[in-house]
Amino acid sequence: MKTAPRGTSSGGPGGLRSFVARRLTLGLVQTAAVVLLVFALTEALPGDAAVALAGDQPDPARIASIREAMDLDRPAHERLADWAAGLPRGDFGTSLTSGRPVAEYIAGGFGPSLLLAALTLALLVPLGFGLGVLAARHEGRLIDRLVSSVTLAVYAVPEFALGVLLVSVFALKLAWLPPTAVGYGTDLIGHPAVLVLPVLVLLARPVCSLSRLVRAGMVDALASPYAAHARRYGVPGARVHYAHALPNALAPAAQQLARTIDWLLCGVIVVEALFVIPGLGTVLLNAVAERDVPVVQGLAVVFGVLTVVLNLAADVVAYRLTPRAGVAA
Amino acid sequence: MTAPRRLLLGLAVVAVPLLLALLGPLFAGEPGPRAASFTLGGGHWLGTDFVGRDVWQQVLHGGRTVVLTALAATALAYLVALPVGLVSAVTHARRLEELLMRPLDVLLAVPSLLLVLLVASVFTPGAAGLALLVALVNVPDAARIVRAAAAEAAARPAVEALRMQGESWWRVAVGYVGRSSLRTLAADAGIRLTGVLYLVSTAAFLGVGVAPDAADWAVMVDRNRTGLFVQPWAVVVPALLIVALTTGTNLLFDAALEKSPRRKGRRP
Repeated sequence: MKTAPRGTSSGGPGGLRSFVARRLTLGLVQTAAVVLLVFALTEALPGDAAVALAGDQPDPARIASIREAMDLDRPAHERLADWAAGLPRGDFGTSLTSGRPVAEYIAGGFGPSLLLAALTLALLVPLGFGLGVLAARHEGRLIDRLVSSVTLAVYAVPEFALGVLLVSVFALKLAWLPPTAVGYGTDLIGHPAVLVLPVLVLLARPVCSLSRLVRAGMVDALASPYAAHARRYGVPGARVHYAHALPNALAPAAQQLARTIDWLLCGVIVVEALFVIPGLGTVLLNAVAERDVPVVQGLAVVFGVLTVVLNLAADVVAYRLTPRAGVAA
Repeated sequence: MTAPRRLLLGLAVVAVPLLLALLGPLFAGEPGPRAASFTLGGGHWLGTDFVGRDVWQQVLHGGRTVVLTALAATALAYLVALPVGLVSAVTHARRLEELLMRPLDVLLAVPSLLLVLLVASVFTPGAAGLALLVALVNVPDAARIVRAAAAEAAARPAVEALRMQGESWWRVAVGYVGRSSLRTLAADAGIRLTGVLYLVSTAAFLGVGVAPDAADWAVMVDRNRTGLFVQPWAVVVPALLIVALTTGTNLLFDAALEKSPRRKGRRP
């Protein structure tokens, strides 16, 4: 990426179109693979699936009800066809433990999870870019070394460990913030104090990786001949920084934002467990603990398809920004 | 900070949890009688945990599973990724390359923790099962890195020369191409180990691959959370050890591999 920024001309619209077509095909195959993989889970159960799922309470009535609920008497390919056909209509089957439709579980947990993810993303972009630009503009000086060391250190820390330490300090020692969201139900937006620690924990890793990428991209560009040339022409420093150097960091940052989706998903599951927030992550963990396979499958499909779509979008954006970088397709 | 100083810092940070994890079980001694849960003092200098066991003794025992599972998972991931990546980089048969790499692209689509939880909802994996699962999650990305690093070396004129001299496939692929990409692979191994440590400890925190009352730092954080306000040490000490372990590993590899070309924007 040593060329002038905004080098979209070399790919041309034809290149973009064929790239998008190839990437869409891959996306479709990935979606199909996710659906197949999730379905294959019940087939992987050793022996009789209904007996295996009944687990601790293997009484005949429960086994029969599981078999009935999951249609286990019919051949696998028919069940797969039925289940897959129901997915686009939002029909994910029914829960084994409560008999309620899985879609109801998903709808119930969607609000809090979406709120957490949206808040995190909204803060992530300005914070990540801000820190990265700050470090790059003061390259080699104290502030850069400080930002670089801290982001490198925090980058690898698992959310649950960071979370309990923050709770110990801010909820226990200082008593500034509530330790969990117990007692607030799904009305989180009405109690912003509850959201501070969860969002802080969710932000930690993505902010570090994003700011490191932005810094690296900008430092790279500022050391390049075209930036030196712009300076020689008397282009003001701010213009060199923001109009010429910053765009150089955009493509890797867009890619990283897509990877962040994966982290955010893992993070949301952990953070909801840690702060007892009734979102999709809590629903998923409860279903895993109760071996409620239809609920697990429904959530897995939703999460998996979401990841596929967001990765696709990020790859197309990254390709548009640097058509010659050869984004994986 | 200069590279040697950062190396020392990384070593210092990672030394405490690593030594505790590997040597701790030797010094733990016999478990004493159980006391009341979540108490402080009374001969237990870090107090007792949720079922009244001595926290210090649990800390001594609790690091080994995390460290060994992570190391095993990283090694297993490379055991698959190395041959797949090398063969697809060196081969001239485009079909073979597609056959090896395309299925991995599809696996990349599934979020890592989701895959672990999916399997945990049907099976009850032990520590070995968790290592296998985490390795599986890491294979696609590792294979892509190996292929990219090896493809660069495989395109060099030296490879043509070796081929024309009639050197065996093994000597060309492993002796030359594999050896030339070692540095990139070492950098990737560092990043991957950090990511694997993250995933293994997070899975253990969520109860995958461990017994509910296991002596494991991540499990201790989870199970002793209910007593956080009474006896914070049972949570804070294992949490700090996990933070030191992951941060130290990351700092160490970053300083050790300073000059190597770092990958950008990949999933750790």
